[in-house]
Amino acid sequence: MKKWICVICGFIYDEAEGLPEHGIAPGTRFEDLDADWVCPECGSPKDAFEEYED
Amino acid sequence: MCLYPHGFIGCGMAGISEQKRCEIDGTVFNPFSPDFVREPHATWLKLVSEYPIAWHRELNMWVVSSHELCGDLLKSHDFSPNYRLWEHALPEKLEAEKLDFDRMTDHSLFMVTQKEHLRLRKLTMPAFSKPVMSQIDATIRDLIVERFDEIGSPEAFDVYTEIASKLPVRSIARMIGVSAEHEAMFQKFANCVVLAARINLTPEQRETAMREGQEGIDYFREQIALRRALAHPGEDFLGALIAAEEDNDSLSDWDIIALISSLITAGSDTAIDLHTYLINGLLSHPDQYSLLKQQPELMENAIVELLRHGSMGKFPFFRFAVDDTEFGGQQIRKGQSVLVNLSAAWHDPAKWENPQTLDITRDLNGNLVFGAGPHFCIGTYLVRAQARIMLEEFMRRFPDAELSGQDGDLEYDYAHHNARRITRLRVKTNLEPVRKVA
Ligand code: HEM
Ligand SMILES: [Fe+2]
Repeated sequence: MKKWICVICGFIYDEAEGLPEHGIAPGTRFEDLDADWVCPECGSPKDAFEEYED
Repeated sequence: MCLYPHGFIGCGMAGISEQKRCEIDGTVFNPFSPDFVREPHATWLKLVSEYPIAWHRELNMWVVSSHELCGDLLKSHDFSPNYRLWEHALPEKLEAEKLDFDRMTDHSLFMVTQKEHLRLRKLTMPAFSKPVMSQIDATIRDLIVERFDEIGSPEAFDVYTEIASKLPVRSIARMIGVSAEHEAMFQKFANCVVLAARINLTPEQRETAMREGQEGIDYFREQIALRRALAHPGEDFLGALIAAEEDNDSLSDWDIIALISSLITAGSDTAIDLHTYLINGLLSHPDQYSLLKQQPELMENAIVELLRHGSMGKFPFFRFAVDDTEFGGQQIRKGQSVLVNLSAAWHDPAKWENPQTLDITRDLNGNLVFGAGPHFCIGTYLVRAQARIMLEEFMRRFPDAELSGQDGDLEYDYAHHNARRITRLRVKTNLEPVRKVA
């Protein structure tokens, strides 16, 4: 499982956790999010995200 | 007003593209009228419901007001905040005539191309990440606690002079890591940067402000050089900017100095209103003030809701059309300016149920309080830290505070160029009189 970061606002999408409060189940891979999914913090599209290693 | 043959007033219907351009004038929206500054809600409601997008004949710009269109506009690449794209922009100075201040401005987030902007946002992001930003909590807290200690325990005081005008620039200084001995110099630099960014200045006034900013520019060049000479530039904000690297690219001195100037432009004036509107919002809704005291975990949500509800902007944000384009059913010409009327959008009933109700438990999903898309506010950490710590101190020290008189003897600066700037807000502290210990 990977993490992805929004390069605009720094929001981190953690595949292991998903976003249950937005209807995205834990374990949902980033590539499986809808193409029109946007960053829940700043509204940027998927292509504003990069893989993130902490 | 846009009068349609079938009798509708306004421009809110579909199929507008075959119609004439939707236009408004100062009778619908006059951001400089004192009545509007005091009581903007009816105007905002009219704009969002009847004129979600319209050409303003007197202001010579498009005004986009509905929540939906504002969101689309902020995320669109057909519009840019780059002032140089404006049809009436002053010609760029020749290289030989440029001051350092111009060079700095050329690199700022508001002046660069879209590609360059994304490069800057990517390279600056690590400096705004939680591990770096959380280092500022303690210094911002010191600043705010010290301010409240100085305020002491008066019967009443003015939030604008005692809090709002004193914290914002110093908070930015602490975030950047300006040492206490250089705080006065930084304050002067900030004044120059804010002044030079105003739209309503004469060329001479702007030139003077830019020249007076030189000392600040020299200071930061020196600080950056000192850091670059170290084996490791450091773990703080400035260090993170210097260390940032992506695809063999890193930030230049001008990139870093310009970022600092962008933080000042976007973060000092806005944060003045942050403090006054937070306190005004809470004290004029005592039920919400006591709810927050009972449930401090609502703080994060309360801050954003108070900003939404207060809507301190009168003439908030701008875009310029990159090319001829159709937007919201209207034909926009290359170089025209567009007002992103977020203050109205924050009160759009199509997005917010009972928009005029302050509800600190409101579901704020999809809000545009800090914008959206590529120009999303870079300062949200500082906004939240500053707001939270200020309110915590205020509530702890003045739990029974009320507005003085009916409305805190509220006064506005009607001449302010883009904000519904509150310049007086008096609060009664209702503290128990301190008994002298014999
Ligand atoms: C009440 C406080 C604040 C509010 C409501 C706010 C809101 C916003 C909004 C709506 C935008 C988007 C502008 C646009 O799209 O044209 C923005 C951008 C920005 N904000 Fe804030 N802001 C606040 C405070 C701050 C502070 C304290 C800082 C800095 C420390 C800051 C730095 C910035 C910067 C640099 C941008 C431009 C980002 C870019 O163009 O990439 N803001 N802010
Ligand atoms: Fe984001």
